Amino acid sequence: MPQAIALKSVSKTFGSGTQRVDALLDIDLDVGKGEFVSVVGASGCGKSTMLRLIAGLMAPTSGVVEIGGRPIDGPDPGIGIVFQTPVLLPWRSVRRNVELQLDIRRNADPAARGQVDALLKLVGLSGFAERKPYELSGGMQQRVSICRALVHDPSLLLMDEPFGALDALTREQMNMELQRIWMETRKTVLFITHSITESVLLGDRVVVMTPRPGRIMEIVPVPVPRPRDFSIMRMPEFHTACDRVRQLMNAAGMTE
Amino acid sequence: MHRLTAAIYPLAAMIGVIALWYATVIFFAVPKYILPLPGDVYQRIREDLEFLLWHSLITVLETLGGFALSIALGIPIAIALVASRTLDRALMPWLILSQTFPKVALAPLIVVWFGLGFTPKLLVTFLVAFFPIVISTIVGLRSIEREMIELAQSMRATTLQMFWHFRLPLALPNIFAGLKVSVAFAVVGAVIAEWVGASAGLGYLLMRANGNLDTTLLFAVLAALMVIGVFLYYAVEVIERLSIPWHVVVRLQDMARGA
Repeated sequence: MPQAIALKSVSKTFGSGTQRVDALLDIDLDVGKGEFVSVVGASGCGKSTMLRLIAGLMAPTSGVVEIGGRPIDGPDPGIGIVFQTPVLLPWRSVRRNVELQLDIRRNADPAARGQVDALLKLVGLSGFAERKPYELSGGMQQRVSICRALVHDPSLLLMDEPFGALDALTREQMNMELQRIWMETRKTVLFITHSITESVLLGDRVVVMTPRPGRIMEIVPVPVPRPRDFSIMRMPEFHTACDRVRQLMNAAGMTE
Repeated sequence: MHRLTAAIYPLAAMIGVIALWYATVIFFAVPKYILPLPGDVYQRIREDLEFLLWHSLITVLETLGGFALSIALGIPIAIALVASRTLDRALMPWLILSQTFPKVALAPLIVVWFGLGFTPKLLVTFLVAFFPIVISTIVGLRSIEREMIELAQSMRATTLQMFWHFRLPLALPNIFAGLKVSVAFAVVGAVIAEWVGASAGLGYLLMRANGNLDTTLLFAVLAALMVIGVFLYYAVEVIERLSIPWHVVVRLQDMARGA
């Protein structure tokens, strides 16, 4: 499988002296093209920092981050990010918010503009293109931000606890939608979460991280066929994976 | 209907105050040069309406001129201070210091330097009115969420795009809050400037009425200033409503109005 992301002995420290915090220590990670990798860990384990390093939003203190085999220096053109909050611009309509990605990148390709409607349809927001963000529910707003992260056809989708702020029901629904979007678009996805269930349900592999300093403890494979739905929760493979992740987190003194 | 009910309270308060005013003047037999009756003031406004309007026009022009200058300089100053850490360190303490002494004290100096024309009025008004715009613009430009900045960076936004598509529009609610304070200050600035040296305007009229113990005219001028202040404030609010209909405070107000 061709490589999408590679972290090579990546460390990140913040501050210095007594204020010094080792956010990440000696991280090695390979993510294959088209793979869905979940990253799970308690707050403060550096998982968000890891996402920001891959996004090129900050530089590692040591080590190398590669995307598509090339070391990065700043945000790679082929990424799309979904944050914990939708961060939509309130004066732009849903359509214009999705188009923001193209406006900023000065992408005048009519095909990309034409893609907006297809994407909104993909996430079930067809009738809402001309609405303003504040007319939408939290889950719908997050769907808009997913469209915005996909509209320039990136190879890599980075998601930083994207459903953390949603209620349980909406969250489950969004999990299923994300899987469907992923199966249709086959992007490489790095999905940060603090929910064990979510990480196992969605991931091909689950990266379990320990806090202070943030390290990769183990990478747990999830050998469950797709498409998965919530009925897989009764499958032994699902249980095995969940139990393993939970064991690792308990061993590291983390509780969910 | 709801708005009508809401208007009853301030209206009742006003009627109460006017009644008290009448009662005081009549009961204590207050002479007219100390406190004229509301009816006298009203009569005076009617008689001298054209005269008052002309002087009001002068004051309004000075106010708007100084306000415009405050916007034209205040917003770029704020942008420069936010953009450059060095400028911020070098100038911000002086800007704050400049606000701690009464700007009224500068008015005579400005008259010495710039004479009695329109320019000194503009400058005094500017001095009084620009600071709230600078401060609120700075706060607005800085109050951007970290994730919003990261979003822009992930799209590889240039500094100019960052400013134009994110920082400036997100700062507008704060900027408008500053503009509303500033426009009220601007009226004060114009009146102060006219006190120091002018041959027209409501401030000049106040001084003249004061000198003549023409208290009725004093009250008429105060009424005019009140109308101007309220009018300009609401004018800014209307522009705000049209510019940032998406802002949560504007939306809440519209909801309360049943719009």
